[in-house]
Amino acid sequence: MGKIFRYECKRLLWNKFFFGLLLVSLFYGWQVLSGVTILGVSHTAPFSPWSFGDYLCRMVPLLWIGALFFLTFFTSGRARRAAVLTDAAPMPPRRYALARCAAALAGTALLALACLGEAAVFYGWYFKWYHWSTLLLPALVTLTPPLVFALGSGWLLGRLRPWLIYVWMPVPFALAALPLPEALGLWNGSFFTRYPLTLEALDPAFSLPPAAAAAQCVLLAAGAALLAARARQGRIRRQAGEAGI
Amino acid sequence: MQLNIQHVSMTYPNGKQALKDLDLELKTPSLIGLLGPNGAGKSTLMKLLVAALMPTAGSILVDGEPLPKADRRLKAQLGYLPQDFGLFDELTVTEFLDYMAALKGLPDPKAAIRAVVRAVNLEEKARSRIRTLSGGQRQRVGIAQALLGDPPLLIFDEPTVGLDPEERIHFRNLFSRAAQDRLVLLSTHIIEDVQSVCDCLVVMDHGQVLFTGTPEELIRSAQGHVGVFWEREEAQEAGLHITARVNTSQGVRCRAVADQLPPYAQAEEPTLEDAYLYLTSREAVQ
Repeated sequence: MGKIFRYECKRLLWNKFFFGLLLVSLFYGWQVLSGVTILGVSHTAPFSPWSFGDYLCRMVPLLWIGALFFLTFFTSGRARRAAVLTDAAPMPPRRYALARCAAALAGTALLALACLGEAAVFYGWYFKWYHWSTLLLPALVTLTPPLVFALGSGWLLGRLRPWLIYVWMPVPFALAALPLPEALGLWNGSFFTRYPLTLEALDPAFSLPPAAAAAQCVLLAAGAALLAARARQGRIRRQAGEAGI
Repeated sequence: MQLNIQHVSMTYPNGKQALKDLDLELKTPSLIGLLGPNGAGKSTLMKLLVAALMPTAGSILVDGEPLPKADRRLKAQLGYLPQDFGLFDELTVTEFLDYMAALKGLPDPKAAIRAVVRAVNLEEKARSRIRTLSGGQRQRVGIAQALLGDPPLLIFDEPTVGLDPEERIHFRNLFSRAAQDRLVLLSTHIIEDVQSVCDCLVVMDHGQVLFTGTPEELIRSAQGHVGVFWEREEAQEAGLHITARVNTSQGVRCRAVADQLPPYAQAEEPTLEDAYLYLTSREAVQ
C-alpha cells in the first residue's frame, strides 16, 4: 500500500499542472498578504488570528481547485481506462481506495502547507513575528473542513461524471458572492472581518461561535463520510464501462 | 485451474443481449482461442470471466467456487489484458509495472519486472515514460502487466492489435509457451493468431457458442464445403459465401464456402479461415 501511495503521489505532484497551481497559489497568496493582510482586518494586527484567517479564507478557493484537480487523476476518462487493469488485481478495493485517498489528501495538504509557509515567511520578513502556534487553530478551522469536503464530494461527483469535478471547482467563488448567514461566514470569508467587531475588544483572542463551529464540523463530517463511503465501495459492477476509480 | 461457465446470459442495461445461455468448461493446461466477429460477445465473456461484470443469469465457477465469492481467489491467479485499456502516462514502464506488481502483491517485484520486460522486448524502453511510447509499445506494456508474476490464468482480449507482424509471431509463440502449464484464453478475430498455437477453439456469434473443439475438428467440419471457380457471371455467386478473389492471367479465381457446392466449383481442402467463415456464414443463413 505504501508503494501505491508513493506512486500516486508522484503522479499527482510531479507534473507541470501541480507546479503551475503551486506558483499561482503562491503568487496570489503574496498579493493577498502584501496588499490586504499587511493592513490587518477588523482593526487587528496583520499577524492576528483574524487577519491570518482572512488570508486563508481568500486562499480556500484556490486550494479547493487544487484538491479537485488531484481527483481528476482518478476520475478522468483516461483513469477509468486504466482502472480496467487495476480492477483485475487482487488488492482489496478498500485498501487501494485508501492509498489513493491518502495521496490526494497529501497533495492537498502540501498545497495548503505551501500557503501557510508563505504566510510564515511573510510575517517573519515584515514583522519579525514568529509565534506561529497561535495561528494553528484558525488554520485548522478554516482549511480542514472545506478541503476534506472538496475531496469527498469531488470524488463522488467525479465517479458519477468526470466533468462534474470541473463544474464543482468554482463553488467557493460562488459562495464568496453570496450573502450567507453568520454561522456560514467561514465559507465566504466574511467571518474574520465581521465577527471580531462584535467582540468589542481591541485585538481580541481567537474564538469561534458555536454556530460557526457546528457548521465547520458538519462540513468536515460530510467530507469524511463521503471519503469513507468511497473507500467502502466494491468493485464488481453490472454495467459495462463503469470503471472503479 | 478450472473455469466453468454454466447457463450464463448477459443483458446490458440498454437491453442489448450480449450472451445467451452460454456453457463452457475451461481447464489447465490449454491455449483456447476465442473467435468470432465483432459484437459476437467475446469481450463480454472475458469481462465476466475477470469479474468486471456480473452475469444477468447463470453462474461462473472458479475451481468449483462461484463468482463473486471467488473474486479474490480468481484475481490472485489472473493476468488480464483487456481490448481497451489505459496506462499511467506519468510513470515509466518500470514504475508502472512496479505499481501493478504492488497491486498484485508480488513478493519479488524486481525479478518479475525484469522477466516480463525481457519477454515483451521492452528492455530499451524500460526507463521511458509511458507517454513517449508508440501504440505497439503500449500494447506490449499491457501484455507485460498481464504476465507479471506468472499467473496460472491468462486472459488476453485482442492482444496483437497494433503490433507489427514480427511482434505478432513473437507473442503467439510466447502465449503458446505460457500455455504449457497454464490456462490461456486468447480472444481475437485474426485467424492467423490462433491457427498455429491454439489447442482448442471456441467460435462465438450473436452471443452464442457455435463451435467448441480443436482446430482440426473445425477444419474437418468444412470438408466438402469449400470450392474454387472462375468468375464468369455475377449469378454464379448466388448462395455462395466468397472468401477470396484472386486476379490471375486467366481471369478472377474465386474461393467460396457453401452448404452445397455448385457443379462448376472444384472442391478444395479447407483452411481454418474457410472453416470459420463456413461456420459463421451458415449460422447467418439459419
